[in-house]
Amino acid sequence: MELKHVGKSYDRSDAIKKVTGAAEYVDDIRLPRMLYAQCVRSPYAHAKILSIDTSAAEKMPGVKCVITGDEYPNRAGLYLEDRYFMAKVGDTAKYMGEAVAAVAAETPEIAKQACDAIKVEYEELPAVTDALEGMKPDAPIIHPELGSYKVAPIFYPKPGTNISHHYVLRKGDFDKACEEADYVFEHKYYIPHVQHVPLEPHACMAKYDADGKCTVWASCQSPYAVRQALSVAFDMPLNKIRVISPTVGGGFGSKAGTTLEGIVIPLAQKSGGRPVKLTYTREDEFVNAYVRQGMHATIKTAMRKDGKILGVHNMFAWDGGAYTEYGVNITKAGGWASAGPYDIDNVWTDSYCVYTNHPVGGPYRGFGMCEIHFAIEQNIDEIAKEMGVSEVDIRRINGLRPGGFTGMGEKMDVAGFQECLETVIKDIEYDKPSVQVSPTKIRAKGIAGGWKSPSMPTNAGSAAIIRMNEDGTFFCMSSGQEIGQGAATVLPQIAAEVLSVSPDKITFVSGDTDCTPYEWQTVASRTTYCAGNAVKLAAEDLKDKILDLAQIKMGAMKRDLDFEDGYVVHKIYPERRVPIKDFALGIAFEDGSGYGGPAIGVGTFTLENNINTDKKTGVAKHHPAAFWTMGVNGCELEVDIETGHIKVLKMVSCFDAGKAINPALFCAQSEGAMVQALGTALFEELKLKDGKVLNKSFVDYKIPTADDIPELVAKYIEHAEPTGPYGARGVGEPLMVPGAPCIANAVYNAIGIRFNRMPITPDDVLKALREKKEKEGK
Amino acid sequence: MREFEYLKPTSLSEAIAMRVRYGDKAVILNGGTDVVIQLRERLIAPDYVIDIKGLEGMQELTFDPKEGLFIGAGVTMNAIGEDPNVKEHYPYLAEAALSVGSKQVRNRATCIGNIVNASPLCDTGTPLYVLDAKLVIAGSEGTREVPIREFITFVRRTVLGKDEIVLGIKVPYIPEAKGIFTKIARRKEVDLSTICGTVLKIGKSYRLAFGAVAPTPVRLDKTEKLLEGRDLTPELIDEAAELAQTEVSPISDVRASKEYRLDVVKVIVRRSLTTFMQEV
Repeated sequence: MELKHVGKSYDRSDAIKKVTGAAEYVDDIRLPRMLYAQCVRSPYAHAKILSIDTSAAEKMPGVKCVITGDEYPNRAGLYLEDRYFMAKVGDTAKYMGEAVAAVAAETPEIAKQACDAIKVEYEELPAVTDALEGMKPDAPIIHPELGSYKVAPIFYPKPGTNISHHYVLRKGDFDKACEEADYVFEHKYYIPHVQHVPLEPHACMAKYDADGKCTVWASCQSPYAVRQALSVAFDMPLNKIRVISPTVGGGFGSKAGTTLEGIVIPLAQKSGGRPVKLTYTREDEFVNAYVRQGMHATIKTAMRKDGKILGVHNMFAWDGGAYTEYGVNITKAGGWASAGPYDIDNVWTDSYCVYTNHPVGGPYRGFGMCEIHFAIEQNIDEIAKEMGVSEVDIRRINGLRPGGFTGMGEKMDVAGFQECLETVIKDIEYDKPSVQVSPTKIRAKGIAGGWKSPSMPTNAGSAAIIRMNEDGTFFCMSSGQEIGQGAATVLPQIAAEVLSVSPDKITFVSGDTDCTPYEWQTVASRTTYCAGNAVKLAAEDLKDKILDLAQIKMGAMKRDLDFEDGYVVHKIYPERRVPIKDFALGIAFEDGSGYGGPAIGVGTFTLENNINTDKKTGVAKHHPAAFWTMGVNGCELEVDIETGHIKVLKMVSCFDAGKAINPALFCAQSEGAMVQALGTALFEELKLKDGKVLNKSFVDYKIPTADDIPELVAKYIEHAEPTGPYGARGVGEPLMVPGAPCIANAVYNAIGIRFNRMPITPDDVLKALREKKEKEGK
Repeated sequence: MREFEYLKPTSLSEAIAMRVRYGDKAVILNGGTDVVIQLRERLIAPDYVIDIKGLEGMQELTFDPKEGLFIGAGVTMNAIGEDPNVKEHYPYLAEAALSVGSKQVRNRATCIGNIVNASPLCDTGTPLYVLDAKLVIAGSEGTREVPIREFITFVRRTVLGKDEIVLGIKVPYIPEAKGIFTKIARRKEVDLSTICGTVLKIGKSYRLAFGAVAPTPVRLDKTEKLLEGRDLTPELIDEAAELAQTEVSPISDVRASKEYRLDVVKVIVRRSLTTFMQEV
């Protein structure tokens, strides 16, 4: 079937509003009599709160109300309900920056002064500042009540420890693989915390109506998940909470969960109908939103001398921070994918989520994949070098092929890894050594692969509604959020294909839990896939209903009718055609009576037969993952061996998109992913010392600027995902996965030094070169 | 930020009178790229902010082969970087000015603000150090000139009196001088210097200044003496680079280690002098 709208590079539907500054973000919304919130935050990494005295603050002119942890009856959390939104007196504040009180006042400055007037007595406790330390039996326990927390049945906290989830995968027999192996290698890696740095910081406003209804405006990726968390935390029925997410200025995972919303609501509750707003500063963003978890990895690999991987043994320890309500699932996702995009018979993985007294870990583009692949893909290169096999061949030998099996034992009917590998190798001319231009600036190339599946509940649901207007235009309603990835462009394109109209006739409406239908979350690179399926089903439902009416109006059999360019057309007698818009309000008969009513299509999607893995072994019974997206990056870079600077000259990416619904947006995602990966590889790290973030601003936390961006080549192949809309699978996150290890591998190829930790800074490079020289001198 | 009274004097004498009257309760606002950050971060909490941008002569940027260059206190980094005279006669100063922050920051930030702020890593410091530039300062007692090496005394400390305002800086013109400015930062754009330095060649004399290696920008007197009057050779350059390292005392901070800074001082000296050697 020829596609008219899917596969075309339509311009972003949100571009003009965003570029001209007309788009309205939460902080732009000013309501009459609005109050401003500020928080008092713990200055200790770990401390018992002995008392809080708010009396002076309450008396200050301009202060409307002050709240403490007393306002929170229940713990909430997405998978593990482990957090109040504020630490309580008698309990502990678990990271430096945790909210312990908050104020709503007439101006931000008054609110700030009131916060200064709140007296909090703490008793400092020993802190856990490293995941491996936190796992030791004598470590201070951060959540003594862990055993009583409500948890989703697929996660296994260990009460009495700091381990909030221990993921296990046992496929085949790793010990036997070692016996059969010619070589066994062991390598260790560490990935530090980073932050998402969305352009728009988190912001939230809440308002209570006299009838008890609470409206929350939040810059969030997942309005329904926010509504659910607030309902649990405050014992409120879902029909009394309305979450509106107007425009989201970048998410990257940081706006997936519920953070500052939980602080604003009780303030609004006590403000007599006046709206209360809290907008995070950039400094807040680095500490008090979410951060990407740190991770220690140890990989043992059993190798046959011809380059075949017989088995892998992984230990991942994730530094989940003070609350791991979300991190437990990243830990699981890391375990799921721990074999990488390779066909390995024997896989043993332990993946631990560990509470520490660090900022709260949460989802970040890649959901654990960027972290584990920094280890997996360098491990592959290290083994290749140590065995004298080419790093391309080792990936050719072990990389997934159709008919192969994943680490969890799923049979892969579709697997484009090998084709992506060959494409990238050709594009970067990997077989040709770099041309050297200076004795002090060494050039080299690197490659790395990667993959990802959505780590979502197996029954995560999506719904969509499509309404036709009298003139043949449409509203496509979904709560799949536009967070910069292009949902507001791509989802209407899918509807347009079914409805045979141009996408500009379809207005996308999202982000309002009272009005737009249920969407589990805009995360996991699942929106094109899940919300896309729901939108396609809604469009097909609408089409079906119109064809029902058309067979009456046109006196033809439904099976002979189809949509074409906005008309219902008879397939055999194409001159018999009626505009679709004539069915917008149903059909009318000559006697004045009508039938059918206004046209609305409904679509709901849950992936069927998406079944949890075996509880004991983690091995797949059927398909636990909705789909796997895989691909490869290549790069060429230059290392200045005198200043240590690394300049990436070119990056190439090829991924199996299944179907690129909008090729230009695919390429934009791919380019953005490569740049973000470059940032983590070379610049980004949340520098933590005794629980304190030392670089919580752009002065000392650097992300790439336009000047750091190399030549970028974004490619895709299309092996259709059988369950995806028009064959599409999610790409937004997977695209970022191979970038950082690809750069690290190229750095090794340039100067012969392996960096087992990112970012690779000029300082690190010179230090390593000094050490290498000293070693060689001896 | 805390509320304050914004004052905009219309004459220098009024501005000085305000300085005298409000003392420590006031700060001077020029480009604002440091002051606004200090206000927001509550590092300062003044009752009065005296905006001197509009004062007469503040925007003056003049060049004369005899008098040299004069940079008024209100002249922005972009204005310096784009000025034909600066570009022709002091290209390394233009480069330093254009290495500060972002284009937007440079539209506001001033060179004098950069100096008065007295950060050890001020980007425009080292070109002015090698040229022995002099600050022109007005106060209730009249006007005085202070060499830049005497003006900055420590991290964020200067000899500027409580009644004084810097009017500008005089930069001598040395026709045969050639300079190389180098900034090493973590990122190409919008970053602070991890190390910055200027090496100036006047015939067979050399002047070297470095930033972010000590509490103030520094001149490397011993290295200058070593090089004085000699022809550059690879051996001499190596010797100079080694000696330069001994004249600085960098610290480790969140941006880089002490060892890295020491390495890079050597690299900058070697690279700059090698360039001069190859030009001959």
